[in-house]
Amino acid sequence: MGITKENCRNELRTAIRQLTDRCLYTASKWAAEQLVGIEQDPAKYPQSHTRLQRDCSSIRRRFRSTDEITSTPLAGTSYVSTPVPEEENEEIDSDFYLLAKTYFSCREYRRAAHVLSDQTGKKALFLRCYALYLAGEKRKEEETIELEGPLGKSDAVNSELVSIEQDLAAVRKNGTIDSFGLYLYGLVLKAKGNENLARAVLVESVNTYPWNWSAWLELQSLCTTIDTLNSLKLNNHWMKDFFLASTYHELRMHNESLAKYDYLQATFGCSNYIKAQIAKAQYSLREFELVEAIFEELLRIDPYRIDDMDMYSNVLYAKECFSGLSYLAHQVFMTDKYRPESCCIIGNYYSLKGLHEKSVMYFRRALKLDKKYLSAWTLMGHEYVEMKNTPAAVDAYRRAVDINPCDYRAWYGLGQAYEMMGMPYYALHYFKKSVFLQPGDSRLWIAMAQCYETEQLRMLEEAIKCYRRAANCNDREAIALHRLAKLHSELGQFQEAAFYYKKDLERMEDEEREGPNMVEALLFLANYCKAQKRFEEAEVYCTRLLDYNGPEKETAKSLLQDIKLAQSGFP
Amino acid sequence: MAGIIKPQSGFVITPHKVSICILLQVYAPSGQLSVPFPFASISQHNRLGLFLIALTKSCDDILEPSLDEFLKLLKEFGGLLENWLYDHVASRLSSLSSPDDLFTFFSELRGILAGPETNIIDDDQINLDPNSNLGMYLRRCLLSFNNLSFEGMCHLLTNIKAYCQEAFSPYKMSHLDDASNDPEAPLEYENMDLENIVLQNFTEELESRKRSNERVPFHNHSSKALFSLIEDITVSPGQKAKHNHRIQTQTHTPSIESSDVILQRTNWQIQGYLSEQADMIEKLGSSFPMSAFESVLKLLQKVAPELHRVHFLRYLNSLYHDDYPAALENLHRYFDYSAGMEGSDFVPPLSCMNNGRYEIALLSLGMAHFHFGHPELALKVLTEAVRVCQLHSDDTCLAYTLTAICNLLSEVGISNITGIMGASDSHVSTSFSVQQQLFVLLRRSLKRADSLKLKRLVASNQLALANFDLKHVQRPLLSFGPKASVQLRTCPINVCKKLRLSSHLIHQFDNESSIVTVDGALSTSWLKNQRKPTTTLVFPPESGSESNCDTLYSWLQSSSVPGSVLQLVGSSYLVRVTSWELYGSASLARSNALLYATCFADSSSSADLSLAYGKLIQYLAVYKGYKEAFVALKIAEAKFLSVSKSGILTVKLQLLHEWALHRGHLKLAQQTCDELGALASSVAGVDMELKTEASLRRARTLLAANQFNQAASVAHSLFCKCYKFNMHVENASVLLFLAEIHKRSGNAVLGIPYALASLSFCESFNLDLLRAAATLTLAELWLLLGSRHAKRALNLIHSAFPIILGQGGLELQSRAHIAEAKCYLSDSSISVSEDPDIVLDSLRQACEGLEALEYHEMAAEAYYLMAIVLDKSGQMEQREEAATRFKEHITALENPIKPEDPLVNLL
Repeated sequence: MGITKENCRNELRTAIRQLTDRCLYTASKWAAEQLVGIEQDPAKYPQSHTRLQRDCSSIRRRFRSTDEITSTPLAGTSYVSTPVPEEENEEIDSDFYLLAKTYFSCREYRRAAHVLSDQTGKKALFLRCYALYLAGEKRKEEETIELEGPLGKSDAVNSELVSIEQDLAAVRKNGTIDSFGLYLYGLVLKAKGNENLARAVLVESVNTYPWNWSAWLELQSLCTTIDTLNSLKLNNHWMKDFFLASTYHELRMHNESLAKYDYLQATFGCSNYIKAQIAKAQYSLREFELVEAIFEELLRIDPYRIDDMDMYSNVLYAKECFSGLSYLAHQVFMTDKYRPESCCIIGNYYSLKGLHEKSVMYFRRALKLDKKYLSAWTLMGHEYVEMKNTPAAVDAYRRAVDINPCDYRAWYGLGQAYEMMGMPYYALHYFKKSVFLQPGDSRLWIAMAQCYETEQLRMLEEAIKCYRRAANCNDREAIALHRLAKLHSELGQFQEAAFYYKKDLERMEDEEREGPNMVEALLFLANYCKAQKRFEEAEVYCTRLLDYNGPEKETAKSLLQDIKLAQSGFP
Repeated sequence: MAGIIKPQSGFVITPHKVSICILLQVYAPSGQLSVPFPFASISQHNRLGLFLIALTKSCDDILEPSLDEFLKLLKEFGGLLENWLYDHVASRLSSLSSPDDLFTFFSELRGILAGPETNIIDDDQINLDPNSNLGMYLRRCLLSFNNLSFEGMCHLLTNIKAYCQEAFSPYKMSHLDDASNDPEAPLEYENMDLENIVLQNFTEELESRKRSNERVPFHNHSSKALFSLIEDITVSPGQKAKHNHRIQTQTHTPSIESSDVILQRTNWQIQGYLSEQADMIEKLGSSFPMSAFESVLKLLQKVAPELHRVHFLRYLNSLYHDDYPAALENLHRYFDYSAGMEGSDFVPPLSCMNNGRYEIALLSLGMAHFHFGHPELALKVLTEAVRVCQLHSDDTCLAYTLTAICNLLSEVGISNITGIMGASDSHVSTSFSVQQQLFVLLRRSLKRADSLKLKRLVASNQLALANFDLKHVQRPLLSFGPKASVQLRTCPINVCKKLRLSSHLIHQFDNESSIVTVDGALSTSWLKNQRKPTTTLVFPPESGSESNCDTLYSWLQSSSVPGSVLQLVGSSYLVRVTSWELYGSASLARSNALLYATCFADSSSSADLSLAYGKLIQYLAVYKGYKEAFVALKIAEAKFLSVSKSGILTVKLQLLHEWALHRGHLKLAQQTCDELGALASSVAGVDMELKTEASLRRARTLLAANQFNQAASVAHSLFCKCYKFNMHVENASVLLFLAEIHKRSGNAVLGIPYALASLSFCESFNLDLLRAAATLTLAELWLLLGSRHAKRALNLIHSAFPIILGQGGLELQSRAHIAEAKCYLSDSSISVSEDPDIVLDSLRQACEGLEALEYHEMAAEAYYLMAIVLDKSGQMEQREEAATRFKEHITALENPIKPEDPLVNLL
């Protein structure tokens, strides 16, 4: 059976209650967002109910007017209906539990744990361990700052892990562990580096209780290859689709991810989360227009949103939209200036303005808030490159790469930095890495080709190969075709050169571009056809050349005369 | 941030330091009499003082000993006072339970320092002079304590707790069992603690109680883990004896009793440890324990993430274990982080402070490619390195890069480099041949190194030039204009001069102190492994990272001559071996090899050493016969069992091949020869010399099987190959072999031109021994043409005799003797029957040599001749004997017995 909206709603409502009861706020927030994200039947509900849902399909209207049909749910997927576990009435929560919960909500984790130290029952156990875990995490973060030593010793660890692990392992052995306990157990195991067991435990957790999005996220972070993903034994639940979509994105399978989201949107039509995720995927596919539209809409519905807004700022940056970016920066600054995303957005703004020192300052602040904030490292690297401080740039990029070796932008940045320093051959190593990770990006191929082409290397054969790849993957600026033609003619391979000039010409005609490239192509083709004795074709090109002013016109004229001569004189 | 190493932040107070302070307090309690309470005598008191000084001298720690280790040391040291001191430290530490306790402790400490105004000190009182070693230490501790924030103080307290906790549980168990402490004691202790805490309500302590059971800070753990690992590694089998002194200084094994043990591992020590390990890796090559060391490195990286040299070590480790992707990855990572600056911060080169020194990265990458057998890639990278060096005017690096290129060109058979080097390297005109380019490059890099005063580089360049001179005829570089008349010969005097100059290096290092090491800032151990060309090309790819640890290293070493210099000088002896071998002085070659094996065994890499051993074994085989050679080979194999086998394996195959050929086991010969061929083109590139040798041996095997056509065609193609790669020395022997083929096929007329050509090659390259052999072959060819030419042949043989008898091997000598005898026999003017001894003497000698070699075919021939002569001269008894020996050898040749030697089975 497929998912009916009402089923989903009911499941989510219960889940939110249960998750909130266990102080799993992030997960319950997520669930609540999805709950509201389920499209209401406008006939049944008055306008006020759908305030947060208005315009939810405007994007689809704008970009998908033609293929409405594809968004209908796929048939044939059968879902396992996981029964929503009934709350075991543990005397309707003991008073201590209530007290602990309030402490927890006030972020007094140790107090919360202490209150529960004598309590039995799954809920109490979970909350106690969870509170301890969070207390340990908090202390760990404080310690990392306090302990910053000469050699950057970062030996702060969550001191509670061992005891929590012991407790949970014991309960798991008893068989009295619930899915929340499993989730926490997985978390602890992951932190201790026992990834295989962590994966197994998390799978168990999501199979028994699929609505805990945090558990899915942890599981996702443990799936770094497609093989591990495929090896997971997951029950078919609609939450699994969310998981798969998000994991596909992490594994850079953007199209698969988009397909999943499209499918989910049939049910969760108004989910901001899905919209943002789609934006993420589209951003990776470099569909900036679409991404911008999605974010505009998101901001209209949810003006105080900060999540994912750094990506929006990247888009605005790429489009050089000064006012938009400044407006966004102002808004996030007013909302919460101590979010890494906010700092990143402000950094982007300054970068766009060319104030690179300031922008570096903000990226640094973002990194202070979150040491592992990948894009800030990369963006800071870009800034250093702008400031011509290549060693610093190399360092920043390298840190990004060491955090996530799949960040093709940082690899690309490293390559660029080395190329700037006049070490193109050394840079090639990095470019190779980046194209390996993102083989569909023409810019990377072009950068690599240019590296091969440099004065110092002149490895034209390799450059041609790269340009060919670039031309095959949707080269927007149409650099590749022109360069290909030129390189082939330089190497004396006129047939190939003619082929690419022709293609380039067609493309220019298609996009109605004019310019020196056009003249060059026409001139070459005219000469080539003449040499091949295809006079009629040559004539066509020559006549087109006549439209241009300058020396080419004269050349074309003399060419035409030659052709005439050749045609009449020697039949 | 990037490219600039964080300044060492100062002195941080740690639990270990607190315990030293406690001891200090015991040592100098304020206002006490001359021999304070626990001490029985002044000498006991002074002993503690010495111990404390030793402790304080190593205070810039990366890892400190745990309390356990510390107490153990104290125990070894304390003698009678042991228990008292032990208990005192322990109880004092555990009494520190609140920040205020710490506060009081440190203010008490301040009291033991003598104030500046108390110039007149009461003789009886002990006061710590604030400017003394201990006083300074105490002041530093006080200062850093005063600088602590409250959080810092809490951390210190927590750390002290953990520090005690780790030590005390075993401590209570093992030592105080007699003090009526039941196993429940720790628990009680804890509960008590809890009550205290509840009373005092210190959140910090609550936390520490929680972690009391399970968790010990990583900090303290790691020292132990690191310890055990380091010990495991340094004491790897076979290395134990050799490196014992290093173990003592580096890792403090409990067995050491001297009081100046380095207790803590300072930053410098870690660097020193790393550089020492780097040396070990390079020395041992692939036999270095990879994964164990890798885990040490990972641990180090975790403890000290900003210590980038760890990446470099990981690179080296994977390089020598042929893990290409990992090596590349780590190399790039190291240079991305360090920008080539780490290690050279000792003498900061002002000019390139801002840019980083990425050219060193290129240099290293180039050499890594070289190591992995990608000469073309290496050349490309090195060319880029030259360009970048020029761009940043980094002359030192440029000199090194040029040397690296020279090595690459001379060691790898590249027939054509235009197009790779071509346009970009402006100082080499492309019209020259590879050899000429190499020569120009060598001279330029020598000059450059000389002007930069890079002594080691100069020495190694001289070695390379000597190598070049050894094998190449100098031709005028000018292609136009008046030419000085040039003799087209190699110049042994030049070679000799260069070799001497290069080993002068050792005197320079003898005279100067360790300051010199700074000048080798770029790469010292890189140079260590300058190899002679016959070695496999392990190109030690280290550069730009050694300066400050080198100082440390030489400080650690007792001898004033750094190991790298020794290694370089050693390799000059190896070149001498080759040169004498070529020039034909067997005795000098042998003595040089022997000298190398005895004097430089400690400082040389195992590959080099095995090479020297191999040479010695080969000499044994040639001059003493196979039996002794096989015995020596077994010894060598045992010695180099764990080390790179290839050197010894090659020798073994060569020996077996010769032996099989001589005994007539053609199948075995074929097999060994094929295996040799396989060795020549390993994964890490083609070894041209070995390849040539393998095909020459193949041709010889074919010849032994009387497949003249095939043998000749193999030899021809070999000649072409050698010609293409400019290997003229090898060509001389190939030509001689072609003459030999024609001799065997009985076609003397065709053989003579080859012999003559070989002779002229030998002359221009000064290959005296080979020349004598060629003369001998020529004589044999003349003899084939008929007895009219016997006189001429005899003259030729006699002209070659001095060299052959003086330096030639058994086989050559016997051949000469037999040929001489044949000359006499065919010369009609000499009647053998009248004066048989003229022939018999030489034949007897020939027989002796050939028996030692088990060369059946030739031995049969010799006995046959002998029998004839004896027959003619009428000595019947001896004739019979010779005849039976002849028969024995013939049957042995025709029915080769299965070789029973176990060596063969080892194959």
